[in-house]
Amino acid sequence: MGSAPRRDARRSVVQGLLRVAAMLVGFLVGSRRRGARLASGRPLGLVTLLVLYLSVTLFIWGLNGFAFRKLPLSGIALLLFSAAAFGVLFLLGYLLGAVAGPFVADAATTIIPYVKLADAIFYLFAVMTVAGAGGCAFSRNIIYSAWSLLFALLGAAGLYVFLGADFPAVAQVLIYIGGVLVLILFAIMLTKQIGGDPKLTNAHLGLPAGVALAVVTVATLTYTAVMAPWKEVAQRGWEPTSARLGIAFLTDYLLPFEVASVVLLAALVGAVVIARKEIKETGDTYEETPSGAAR
Amino acid sequence: MTTIGLPHFLIVGAILFALGMVTVVTRRNAVGILMGVELILNAANVNFIAFNHFVEGPDRLTGQVFSIFVIVLAAAEAAVGLAIVLAIYQTFRTIDVEETDLLRE
Repeated sequence: MGSAPRRDARRSVVQGLLRVAAMLVGFLVGSRRRGARLASGRPLGLVTLLVLYLSVTLFIWGLNGFAFRKLPLSGIALLLFSAAAFGVLFLLGYLLGAVAGPFVADAATTIIPYVKLADAIFYLFAVMTVAGAGGCAFSRNIIYSAWSLLFALLGAAGLYVFLGADFPAVAQVLIYIGGVLVLILFAIMLTKQIGGDPKLTNAHLGLPAGVALAVVTVATLTYTAVMAPWKEVAQRGWEPTSARLGIAFLTDYLLPFEVASVVLLAALVGAVVIARKEIKETGDTYEETPSGAAR
Repeated sequence: MTTIGLPHFLIVGAILFALGMVTVVTRRNAVGILMGVELILNAANVNFIAFNHFVEGPDRLTGQVFSIFVIVLAAAEAAVGLAIVLAIYQTFRTIDVEETDLLRE
């Protein structure tokens, strides 16, 4: 009795290998013919078309074993499906090769010498930060907002590194992402409505007003940032700043440093006291809890 | 094409600030408002560090020191603010800021 499943398993393995081989063969044949056509730029002959069609069919048959198994293709359906796919691919290839290709190549040869790696990294971090902030501002689900905030904070940490501020970047990752974001997630999870639906979405009251406010703010600040005559100093290479930062904290900024530590202590003790009150209340006056829900 | 300079960072900071302000203005969830405040503080930090790098020069570190203070105070603010949010939730059973308008239970 145990041999039938094993035989099935072996057959499925063999079939999977066969399909992988068909995918590889189809891909290699198709790509070589395509590459030759793209390199030469000549119009396609009938044989080439047939070979390309067969390679697409082979590839789709191989792919059918893995990707869209709910729809097993065989016989006429396979031929028709691959013909459709081949038509789409042919159009795409024609568009890419004849229309978009020269344009993209032209643009790339014009742009690429001007793009530096540092600039690309800056734009990566900037886009990450702005996209994260946008998700935090406009997402309907507050948990998605919190995760978007993660990306905004990570991107800001990358910008700090870009500006040669290594210690603030590490502090950002440790304190914001490791502490504040976890606190926010805890608060979201703890303040679900206990009965009924968790009230995660928030009504977007005044969203047009908010967007208008944002547009005005960005326009004003950008105008200031671009137009103001900042007195920039000459740039030097990057060097670690944490040692000098520590010396500065213990000499020039000793009093603010101590005050900040006292503030942290007071804030943490206060947070514990405020958050602990609920445990006492729910423990003492359990009956009064419904009346406490003043609306 | 210019290299990355001070205005690039200031513009990123401005966008962060504006999005944080949008979050504070449009959210009615108290936790969402706190997240908007975090975004605004981050915008300020980006500006501090950019000015430290480009205007103040690498010999002095005032901007970075100030950014560290901002991070520390943001942590304190988040701890106290979220504790208050929890207390409000225990009292009112909601954290919608438009419904929590009583100082008593």
